[in-house]
Amino acid sequence: MINFTINNQPVTALKGETILQVARKSGFYIPTMCYIEKTTPCASCRLCVVETDKTDGLILSCQTPPTQGLAVTIDSERLQTERTNIMRMYDVNHPLECGVCDKSGACDLQNKTLEFGISSQHFSAKEQNRKIEHWGLINYDPSLCILCEKCVHVCNEIIGDDAITLQFGGYKSAVIPKNSDVLDCTFCGECIAVCPVGALVSSKFQYSANAWELTQIPATCAHCSAGCSLTYEVRHTSNSLGAKPKIYRVTNNFEVATLCGAGRFGFDFDIQAAKDETLFEKAVLAFQNATAIRFSSLITNEEALILQRLKEKLGVKLFNEEARAYQSFMQAYSSISGKSAFSGSLDAIAQSDAIIVMGGRVSTDNPAVRYAMTTAARHNGAKIVYMHPLEDALLQNVVTQNIRYEAGSEEGVIAMLAQTLLEGCDVDDAIKAFLESLDEGYLCAESNVGDEEFAQISKSLRRAKRKTLIIGSDVLSHNRAVNIARLCALIETHTDFSLIVIPQTVNTVGVSLICDLDKDEKIANVVGYNAQGDFVIGSMGECAMTMPSLNSQEGTFVSINYQLLATNVAVAFEGHCLNDIAQALGLKALNTIDYTAQLPVEKGFKAVEFDMLGNFYGALGEDYRGYQLETMDSELEGALEEIDDLPEFNGTVIYQCNPVNQFNAYTARTSQLEADTSLRGSVQFATAARISDGESISIEGREGVRVFIVDETLKGTIALLPTYDTAFGGAHEGYRFEKIKLQRMGS
Amino acid sequence: MHSEPLNDRNVSEHSAYYYVDIEEYPTTGWDKFKQVVKRTFRGELFVGLWVVMREMIKFDIHTVKYPLEKLPIGPRYRAVHKLLRLWESGYERCIGCGLCEKICISDCIRMDTKIDENSRKEVTEYSINLGRCIFCGYCAEVCPELAIVHGQRYENGSEQRAHFVIKDDMLTPLDFLTSGQQAEYPGFGAITPNESVTKTPLAY
Repeated sequence: MINFTINNQPVTALKGETILQVARKSGFYIPTMCYIEKTTPCASCRLCVVETDKTDGLILSCQTPPTQGLAVTIDSERLQTERTNIMRMYDVNHPLECGVCDKSGACDLQNKTLEFGISSQHFSAKEQNRKIEHWGLINYDPSLCILCEKCVHVCNEIIGDDAITLQFGGYKSAVIPKNSDVLDCTFCGECIAVCPVGALVSSKFQYSANAWELTQIPATCAHCSAGCSLTYEVRHTSNSLGAKPKIYRVTNNFEVATLCGAGRFGFDFDIQAAKDETLFEKAVLAFQNATAIRFSSLITNEEALILQRLKEKLGVKLFNEEARAYQSFMQAYSSISGKSAFSGSLDAIAQSDAIIVMGGRVSTDNPAVRYAMTTAARHNGAKIVYMHPLEDALLQNVVTQNIRYEAGSEEGVIAMLAQTLLEGCDVDDAIKAFLESLDEGYLCAESNVGDEEFAQISKSLRRAKRKTLIIGSDVLSHNRAVNIARLCALIETHTDFSLIVIPQTVNTVGVSLICDLDKDEKIANVVGYNAQGDFVIGSMGECAMTMPSLNSQEGTFVSINYQLLATNVAVAFEGHCLNDIAQALGLKALNTIDYTAQLPVEKGFKAVEFDMLGNFYGALGEDYRGYQLETMDSELEGALEEIDDLPEFNGTVIYQCNPVNQFNAYTARTSQLEADTSLRGSVQFATAARISDGESISIEGREGVRVFIVDETLKGTIALLPTYDTAFGGAHEGYRFEKIKLQRMGS
Repeated sequence: MHSEPLNDRNVSEHSAYYYVDIEEYPTTGWDKFKQVVKRTFRGELFVGLWVVMREMIKFDIHTVKYPLEKLPIGPRYRAVHKLLRLWESGYERCIGCGLCEKICISDCIRMDTKIDENSRKEVTEYSINLGRCIFCGYCAEVCPELAIVHGQRYENGSEQRAHFVIKDDMLTPLDFLTSGQQAEYPGFGAITPNESVTKTPLAY
């Protein structure tokens, strides 16, 4: 605690806080142009200058921590002159095109220019003829750029793409792609979000609407399990298109939260249908005659609860293999750890200084995890161990140790990891005996991870204070998932690691908490809700009856942070929804959101009405979104099983993994996201499978033809097979590694 | 004349007020009949007809023959809108800034823009719902490019309300522009009435 004064008012700073942070927290206003809370200070605008009694010159409050007893002045005449001059410099030759600029009305430069009353240009410089750059989804106009460097900082520190940099050249400076002529990045669009002026803009949105015409609808992203906060910005379309409302763009609170490209550019997956009474009666009849309902986890908690109530009322079975895998994983976890939810969260990852990732390609499965890892690496210098059969090129900048184990050997690897991490921990005899009984020679040989690699883990993590173990979705569908869960629980319980498990779909966690799921079996009369069935309803694939997509629904999700998050209707849906069917079947709730307060309290939910849920961040970054689920205690009844023989995957092996920014059938049908459906493999894979670059292939047991592409960034003999483009978005129901037979087309 | 006599509203010698000499109303049927006959055949009708006749012969008629002839309208008259073009290039003046749409108090302007192949903002649709428009003139006032102006056309008779109000109807046709028929808005920032000035006026 450091006590000092701002404008003679006493204030208190915590260790590590800067003067600017304390000033904002205490309600003082210091203008800034380049400051962004989630990165290290850019220190380029120099607007945040302040005077102190201990320094002669002006100091930058954004990067200076206060000292005990310091007297800071933030608004003297000298500072005002200094700041006004800076604003005058910013306005030199800034194109007077506010009339057409996308940023007009929401522009930091406009606001500050008015605030400092700059009404004319005091300096002049030769006008430069600068070209607008077109970088795919992003357009960059260097003449509008004020070189605040926010984009460069988020790209490097938060996203980890490190794709843009500043080309220094004084007045000629500009943002350029790093080490490349064109922008080669994951197109998260975070640079667009942070740009205080209209220099970096979304190319598809540019010039289509003004900021003040758009209605902002706070919602939750439906694409992955992170449940990022986003705002759908909606406006009517033109008269010739019927003046119907349409989502124009997605924005986010970039000061505190981050959004990936799928969230930002993959918003137009809404679907429309009219009310059709005969079809509705058919659907009701199908539910009445159903023996089971199969559904995907692209569903709100409320609808999941409706399905659960239908199960209780009609005696049908509920199939959702993906959520069931997660459910049984978490049950096994609870039986060892004694609690219903793991301790990790995205924030915990971002604050860690040591991270182990195992069993999942997190960078594409859940970009929020990747961003948290990048933040940890850049801000805390975190050591990151990435354990997976395939190296991930997207993480190469942050990963400090890559461990490639054999596909299928996760149980052996996690057992060895447990042995490494639990070394020297105080554990009971049964666990000690279990760890000692491990056949290290066999496990290391079969998993292809050497002793020395585990030794290096324990060596590099020794000094770490905040550690996180990230478990990917590969292990959830593994044959031995239950034992893996127990081993994870063991690590979390007995070491200082916090654990976080990353399921695939937006509401896998919610469904696993709400629904009583049955083992999927091939039976007749199955109603599918966004899933295979004899009568299919839903918003994707070929459906007998169209239901609203997730951006046309009110409801809640449960994120991997075990936080209940609300989402709202961006574009209204005209047809029937699941609640209408449930009403016809005898469930009494007027609206779907009436179920929000009825979510099972014994699973950690709270009896809070939907309309009482917040969905925003506070001015200082406080999270007012939904509520945190309560962690319940559970019985310690689980016991570790012996490690099974590790399976082998030889021959042509694929890994079900979606390309960047693609997750499900929703993202597959959006207009802006790149839809790459090719099978990608290394040169080695091509040789082994005897196929060459650009060849069309089909996979036995799967529909459709795919093009094989040799990817130079890949190594090893496992190819990546996208699943997002298959009928229902292909949530990974089975183990993600699979031995397949390839057939060349036309031979 | 002083106003004092008028202030005293009582009819007396000193006041300016007196009773008008009105004949007694006929009460019996016969009296009423006599009054009708008297008024009918007195020939007063021809006094009026003579005036019409006299003026007709003189050919000095002041009546505006409306559909053929129209009264000149004040330069600031606010009738149906027009979208103007740049004199120099013939391009549309409208840059699609959306200020008119924003300021419109009856919310009747709707526009649609997109990025064109030259990376400029292009206005693809522009409409004013005249059924709602109250002709307040804010849109013309706020327009930074003097693109939307109020024209002089006040005849809105049509089979449909939607007429006159789509972009093609409002925008100066190109041949009108080249033949110099685009009337300049004579209000704020307007072109100086001087033959040598041919450039598009700007508000700033």
